[in-house]
Amino acid sequence: MTRRNDPKGPGKPLSALSAAVRTAVMTGIAISPGAAIAQEAIDLSKWSPEYVRAIAGTAKFDTAAECAKTVPLDYTGRVSVWYTGPADAEPEITKKFDKEFWEAFQATYPNIKLEAQSIVYNDLLDKLRTSLLGNAGPMVVRLQILGGVEFAAKGYLEPLKPEDVGYTTAEFWPGALKSVTYDGATYGIPTNNETMGFIYNAKIFADAGLDPEKAPATWDDVVAYSKQIKDKLGIAGYGLVAKQNAGNTPFRFMPQLWAYGGAALDENLDAPTLKSVGLNSPGSKAALQASYDMYVRDQSVPVSALTNTQAENQSPFIAGQLAMMIAHPAEYAKMVDLAGKATGKDKEVADEVVANMRYGLIPAGPDRRAVVFGGSNIHIVKGEYVEGGMDEMAAKALICFWTSPEWSTKLAWVGSNPGNLRGFQTEWMKERLDTIKFLDVTTSMLPSGIPFPAIAEAPEIMNIIIPDMLQNALTGKMTVDEAAEDAAAKVEALLSGL
Amino acid sequence: MAVTSDPASGSLRRDDGLLRRIVAHRADYAYVLPALVVMMVVIAYPIWFTIDMSFYKTPASLQLRDRTFVGWKNYETILTAPAFWSVTLNTVIWTLASTFFAFLLGLGAALSLHREFAGRAVLRAILLIPYVISAVAASYLWKWLYHSDFGVIGALSVQWGFTDKPINFLDNIHTALPSLIVVNIWREFSFAMIMLMAGLQTVPEQLLRAAQVDGANAWQRFWHVTAPHLKGVSMVTVLLLMVANFNSFIVPYLMTGGGPAGASDIWITHIYQIAFGRQNWGLASAYSVILFIVMMCLGYFYVQALTRGDKGRPE
Repeated sequence: MTRRNDPKGPGKPLSALSAAVRTAVMTGIAISPGAAIAQEAIDLSKWSPEYVRAIAGTAKFDTAAECAKTVPLDYTGRVSVWYTGPADAEPEITKKFDKEFWEAFQATYPNIKLEAQSIVYNDLLDKLRTSLLGNAGPMVVRLQILGGVEFAAKGYLEPLKPEDVGYTTAEFWPGALKSVTYDGATYGIPTNNETMGFIYNAKIFADAGLDPEKAPATWDDVVAYSKQIKDKLGIAGYGLVAKQNAGNTPFRFMPQLWAYGGAALDENLDAPTLKSVGLNSPGSKAALQASYDMYVRDQSVPVSALTNTQAENQSPFIAGQLAMMIAHPAEYAKMVDLAGKATGKDKEVADEVVANMRYGLIPAGPDRRAVVFGGSNIHIVKGEYVEGGMDEMAAKALICFWTSPEWSTKLAWVGSNPGNLRGFQTEWMKERLDTIKFLDVTTSMLPSGIPFPAIAEAPEIMNIIIPDMLQNALTGKMTVDEAAEDAAAKVEALLSGL
Repeated sequence: MAVTSDPASGSLRRDDGLLRRIVAHRADYAYVLPALVVMMVVIAYPIWFTIDMSFYKTPASLQLRDRTFVGWKNYETILTAPAFWSVTLNTVIWTLASTFFAFLLGLGAALSLHREFAGRAVLRAILLIPYVISAVAASYLWKWLYHSDFGVIGALSVQWGFTDKPINFLDNIHTALPSLIVVNIWREFSFAMIMLMAGLQTVPEQLLRAAQVDGANAWQRFWHVTAPHLKGVSMVTVLLLMVANFNSFIVPYLMTGGGPAGASDIWITHIYQIAFGRQNWGLASAYSVILFIVMMCLGYFYVQALTRGDKGRPE
């Protein structure tokens, strides 16, 4: 670990070397072992698994020195923060880094009183809504990528951009910054970003007569492969997820929709207005038709897709009864874990599945290759809604620390990627690539990432209207055309304020 | 209102003036005052707040304090939406079918267990399991039993040759609601059984024997002796089941979330989705007010059933 806390504590004289190092970092120069070299800028146009590997471990950063530029290390104050910390079931390394983060922050800013509260994912938004109504919110809150928009729209958040905590906008993914931009202003900083990958079972591919080392290149391939697997082996091909009011559904359907040239609004454009509705476009209908073909025409996906979340796909996949699915990079670790718990013949099957597990890029469509740009952002709540009042400097110190190359990498260890692009240059990123299988594949999907529309109505569109559209078409309640038109009409009504 | 008192007892009667009755019972009212205050805070205020909120538009992009008054618009939106009528139909089917069959099964179980036989206590305990098991656990258990690809019921039906592929219980718009109703009946019949078993204790044994001596067969003894004695407890049981079923949330929400395509959406799950999924508090409040009115009507009949025979009783 290279986080360099001043052993003498804040306010004490620094050693000459330490002072020099900090000055170098503060002036935008990365520290390389032995010598200070000019930091090579990350070129997003070169992004690929090879590029990600090439830049990993090429630079070192001093978190304390970078944050000292914004908030002196001897600053005295108080900061309250809500976030979703590691759950019991998460890997030990996630819990370890979470613990170390808080210890490191306290060691770096010993005079800032820290009040951190971990709140489970499903409760955080509701708890924040309720507390803000009673002016009892925290100073800082980290929310999932789409969570902050609602609060920005309602005027609960302070404008906050990377420059406010000593970084630059260029250090973060443009897609991630779109997710914290509301009405032209930036209301947060990305802490971590992730994109999912396409997972398949190579043995099932081989048994079905498909190339076991080649993931489907297009969504049309997925439809065809799924049918071939079902016809030849009698098991489900693609793990379609179409449950109502479930975030898993849009995370898996939107890449397909965008690939065919569709959109919920116009979020797939470089400069979206988020005012026009795209759910009834030919591209959206083509994507919906592809899902209909798999579920109704070919019956090549699980019948239970309408009540399934991704969690329900894990069991059939590890049992060798499902060939393909979209999931996080952490899915491999989950499968290894499930295989470890299996016994007898089940264990043999599970071990074989793990050995034959492959990751590929999310398939492309006629229009593009796309994936949902996921992750989390950190925000500052307006003082009038904070319990006990706001301490802006303490809040900024914490955010600087959290979004630093070091901690944005460590805190995203298993399932995500650093929000700060310089995190990809750290030694920890190199270690992650060496130890987490398929991380380079999912990481290389980042440039294809599209964030959900950054409007307050987005959760309703993504979690309710789009799953409803899928269900209306897949159950035969409506035709594909009718379902798409119905969904578009609902979005239009929503945007017009009806 | 004329003030009258019972000359024999000197106590106040129901047709005495309200104020006079309150004054006469001031000590009683003082005792219940703390509870009344607490209820005002935790029940009356939220009800008032919900009614008030139902007249406002609360878009996701505005804070609640910035809500805009829209009069009866939310009620108009609800009553003119096709979803309202399909959800209402689902709610009525869900409530009536669950209540009727749970009561019927409960009555059958109560009558069976009322007689002495070996192992009665064990059987009674077994039949109580559905009632004491957590609704969340039961929902997940049944979800896996019903699972359209890997469910136990589907697998057995294929294995025993009833069907050539697993039955699609929860992912079909025609079977989802009936499947949930079966789970609900399974959960609730024990409650009806307990209530009716208690009611059966009140049926005078000598009347049943007399009817038997008079040549009444089993059905006649049940219909002419047992059933009239169970009338009161049956009414209470049915009303309690109906209230519980109108307010059902856990089973439909966890098993289908109201899907597929709204096929198992009932009022409570629909209101939950509008409030917490869509953040449309105004519309959800209007829905809740409608549900509240329906529940108050049911509550009225419940109280009537409970206080039947109280009228002639002196206070």
